[in-house]
Amino acid sequence: MITEQGIKDFLRSSGYIADSAIATAVFLALRMEKPILIEGPPGVGKTGLAKALSSSLDFPLVRLQCYEGIDEGKALYDWEYGKQLLYTQLLRTQLDNYLSVSADLREAVERLAAEESMFFSMNFLVQRPILRSFLSEKRSLLLIDEIDRSGDEFEALLLECLSDFQVSVPELGVIEAKRKPLVILTSNGTRMISDALRRRCLYLYIGYPDLDREVAIVRARFPQICEELAHQMVSFLRKARELNMRKPPSVSETLDWANVLTIMNASKLTREMLDNSVGVIAKHQADLQMVKDLAVQELR
Amino acid sequence: METVVTRFVHALREQGIRVSPGECLDAVQALGFGGVEGREVVRALLQVTLVKNVNDIASFNDVFDFFFSQQEENPFFIKPEDLMGAYFHIVEGEEFTDEMLEKRRDRPGLLTSAQEVTAEDLQNLDWLKDLEDDSDGPEIQVRMKGYKGKNKAPKPSEFNLLNLPSAAFSKSWSKESNSAFTPEEIADMHEIVSRMLIRIRKDVRRVKEEQSRGKLHVIRTLQKNYRNDMVPFLVSLRCKKKVRPRLVVLCDVSFSVSYASRFMLLLLHTLHNRLMEVRSFIFNQELAEISNLLTNMPVNALLEVIDSGSLVDMDDNSDYGKVLVNFKKRHLESMRGNPTVIILGDARNNYNEANEWVMDEIREKSGYLLWLTPEDRETWQRGDCMIEQYGAYCDKVEYVKSVDELSVILEDLFRSIYTDLAPRKRRNGDDRDSMKEPDDYKDYYKQAKAMVHHDHRMQLNPSSEAWRKHFGTFYQKKR
Repeated sequence: MITEQGIKDFLRSSGYIADSAIATAVFLALRMEKPILIEGPPGVGKTGLAKALSSSLDFPLVRLQCYEGIDEGKALYDWEYGKQLLYTQLLRTQLDNYLSVSADLREAVERLAAEESMFFSMNFLVQRPILRSFLSEKRSLLLIDEIDRSGDEFEALLLECLSDFQVSVPELGVIEAKRKPLVILTSNGTRMISDALRRRCLYLYIGYPDLDREVAIVRARFPQICEELAHQMVSFLRKARELNMRKPPSVSETLDWANVLTIMNASKLTREMLDNSVGVIAKHQADLQMVKDLAVQELR
Repeated sequence: METVVTRFVHALREQGIRVSPGECLDAVQALGFGGVEGREVVRALLQVTLVKNVNDIASFNDVFDFFFSQQEENPFFIKPEDLMGAYFHIVEGEEFTDEMLEKRRDRPGLLTSAQEVTAEDLQNLDWLKDLEDDSDGPEIQVRMKGYKGKNKAPKPSEFNLLNLPSAAFSKSWSKESNSAFTPEEIADMHEIVSRMLIRIRKDVRRVKEEQSRGKLHVIRTLQKNYRNDMVPFLVSLRCKKKVRPRLVVLCDVSFSVSYASRFMLLLLHTLHNRLMEVRSFIFNQELAEISNLLTNMPVNALLEVIDSGSLVDMDDNSDYGKVLVNFKKRHLESMRGNPTVIILGDARNNYNEANEWVMDEIREKSGYLLWLTPEDRETWQRGDCMIEQYGAYCDKVEYVKSVDELSVILEDLFRSIYTDLAPRKRRNGDDRDSMKEPDDYKDYYKQAKAMVHHDHRMQLNPSSEAWRKHFGTFYQKKR
């Protein structure tokens, strides 16, 4: 029996500190077998959640990175024309023998048509991520990353897959999922996702974590950083987030910075240290100056 | 439990959160799995299943707090005070106070028997919102100007909350501010432009897909079908040469229009590098090209440079005639590929030589010529305004009074440049010939504007020349 607390502990074991909203969403997704749509600013651990879940629940991760112009040939399935042609070439003599029995052309065509399904079978089907995760023997985790980068057409394509966990292949019929995968969709909100897709998913918004959780995240990843330093750097970054920067530092920046500070062997945050490592936090020229100005106020 | 959830969903819907029956079922199912032990647990379960948008989370929490704070026996009881408050808020836009309640009690009227009013009544009050709602933005204004069949007009689907005019830009140009841009303004402009680009890209893709794209590209087809043993399953067609839209912008920066040109500069700055090849000029009495500055400089630094007067003397009065002649001498030759030319200015020439013949040459060299003025049409015929002379050569004269309108007009323009549709062709025939029943809102909207524009052109015809001469000299003498 899975519980929310159990999920939190599971995730903690793979280095992901979840709050109760995240745990609830994951819990429901597992019980109700519904996809989760995760939105939030970049770098707060949307994809990280999927990875942590896959490793802690031991679901193999099947990842589909969306981009503009992605279509069913890249996401669901494709026919392997080359292989089909190769087989017809190799089987030519057998085919000749097989067809030579028939009296006239009409009969030959009928005989060939009877064997048609041979060339449109699973043998010649290339499984793309979604179909692969549906056909996986073990329950898998399907991560559809950055869905907002794809077009409307692709979103519409997902509707059938996500609500019924099935893929229609015209030549084969409907292929149903052997084990319904846990589906996680992430979006950075650069485009509005349609309501139809939203309705089929549970919705989880991951914002910036609160102070304690962020400190816990840093400590979980970098145990060698002492509590005080973690606290200091996290509260500094939280102030930086309020600065109206073009690219506010996110949790991933916090972790990068923590990494840098461990390498620099820091025990306390100083201005000099910040000046040396400011490029980890700020990724725009204007932001760089803002962070430095903040450091003048905050740090000694 | 089901009734509680459905009532709660009903309350959410009244707050404008869209919840489908399927989601309602999900919520019930989720409560079955997750249990109803703690308040926060229930909140989390309901939120995950019912709310599908970041913007709705806050109002969900409000409804949740309100709904589950009521008496246990009747969870949907609404206090009369709250109802009155909602009424006042909707109808009169005022916050509700106790003394107002007293006042209303004395008079018999709609809401005196507030005790009996139910949630349904509260919902019915919502239509009042529509009456007061004037947040429709520039589209609706254009519609009101030109198009009469208001009932037929389809509600633009793109006009959701996320597409509303941005908060940082007020409804019209703020006249007093002439200083540097705030980060919010810059961020908002980035947002406006990104949204614009996304919409345009979509249209361009649609048009390209509809076009049959020429002859078979033999080499590419062979390459594509290499793995199919050269059997051409996948066909590659020879595309038309990619249209690289060019844009030439002349922007008046004299004091009288600075409040508008300031935003034009910001828009240009944001557009540079992102959309197309742009050549930008600013002018006052002199003309200066700022294309390179726009690409290489932060926008506030650029404003400082312009204000310092090192490019054009800011103390001069604008002289359109001289600027046009200079433009012809120095730059007209290098204008290639029928660019679209946009001139932003009020055409107040300070009684200098008009030199409108240059406009004719610019028109010849350009694919489309657009004049944007921040000045209302009523004042076009007063004083030194030369817009009728210049406007007669333009494909279109537009009056822009806000950033949103500016971006709407430019979006339309860019869309048609990219998809290579209307404006260029429009030159050949009368606008009205192409008027037919619109099938979607964009066409409809374009036509509404074209109609308005058509009326301008009628007015602008030099028939009023004599009149202007008369009054022009009159003003001159007076001065």
